[in-house]
Amino acid sequence: MQVKNFWYLFAAYSTIWTALCVYMIRLSQKNKALQAELRDLRAQIERVLAK
Amino acid sequence: MRILGTMLLFFIVFPLVFVRRNSLFQITIMYITMIVAIFLVFIYAPTEKVQGIVQKIFYFHVSSAVTMSFAFFVVFIASIMYLWKNSDWWDAVALSAAEIGVVFCTLVLITGPIWARPIWGTWWSWDPTLTLSLVLWLIYVAYLMLRIDAHDSKRARFAAILGIVGFVDVPLILWSVEKWRTLHPKPVLIQEGGTTGLTSAMLLTFMVCLGAFLLLFFYLLRERISVLQSRHALEVLRHEIDEILAG
Repeated sequence: MQVKNFWYLFAAYSTIWTALCVYMIRLSQKNKALQAELRDLRAQIERVLAK
Repeated sequence: MRILGTMLLFFIVFPLVFVRRNSLFQITIMYITMIVAIFLVFIYAPTEKVQGIVQKIFYFHVSSAVTMSFAFFVVFIASIMYLWKNSDWWDAVALSAAEIGVVFCTLVLITGPIWARPIWGTWWSWDPTLTLSLVLWLIYVAYLMLRIDAHDSKRARFAAILGIVGFVDVPLILWSVEKWRTLHPKPVLIQEGGTTGLTSAMLLTFMVCLGAFLLLFFYLLRERISVLQSRHALEVLRHEIDEILAG
C-alpha cells in the first residue's frame, strides 16, 4: 500500500517541478530574447542617427 | 501562535524586499527556500497515520492553492486600478498575475486528483469545491484568451471586468471547503475556534512551503511584467525607426 502510494506522491511532485521549471525557463528565455532584440534595435537607431 | 504570527509577518514583509532586489538574489533565496521546503516535506515532517505517505502531497497542493488565490487577488486589485487609472502598468500586473495564477490553478487541478485517487478511490468527483475550482481555471483561461491581442484597449477593459468578476469564485471555493459536506476534506490548517489540525512539525513544513511558493510567485510576476514591458519598449523603438526611415 505504502509503496503503491509512493508513486502517487512521486507523480504529484514531479508534475509540480516539471511544470514550474518549464514555465520558468520559457519565461527567462523569452525575456532574454526580448532584451537582446531591444539592444540590437537601440544600436541600430544610434547607427542611423550617427549617419 | 507567536511563532505562527511572526512567520506570517515574515511572509508578508519579505516579498516586498524581495521584489526590489536583483534577479540573482531572488533566484538564490528562492532556490534555498525550495530546498529547505523539500527537505522538510520528505525528511522532517511526520508521515500522517491514516493517509500515510501520500498525505505529503498536501504541502504543495495547498501551497499552490493559496498562491493561486493570491495571484487572482492581485488580478482583482490590478484590474480595479487599471479601470480607475487607465495605466498600462496595472494592466501588465493584472495580465502577468492571471497567467501565473492559471499555472498554479493547473497544478492544483492536477495534484488534487493524484491525491484523491488513493484516498477517495476516484480521480475526480463533481463536488462543489472541485467544480468551482475547474470553473475558476476556465474563467482565467478565458481571460488569457481575451488578452492574446494585448494591444486592444477595449479587450483590456473587458478582461479587467472579467478579472474582477471572476475573483468572486475564490471566496466561493473557500466557503464550499468550509460549509459543504463533500468528498473534499474540511480545512485542517485553521479549524473552527482558530485551532489547527496539524502538528507543529507539519505546520512549520507547510509555512515554509507556502513561503517558497509565494517567493516564486513574486519572482515570476516580476519576470512576466518585464517581458510585457520589453515588448512595449520594442514597439516604441520600431515605431521610432519607421519614423526615422520615413523622415
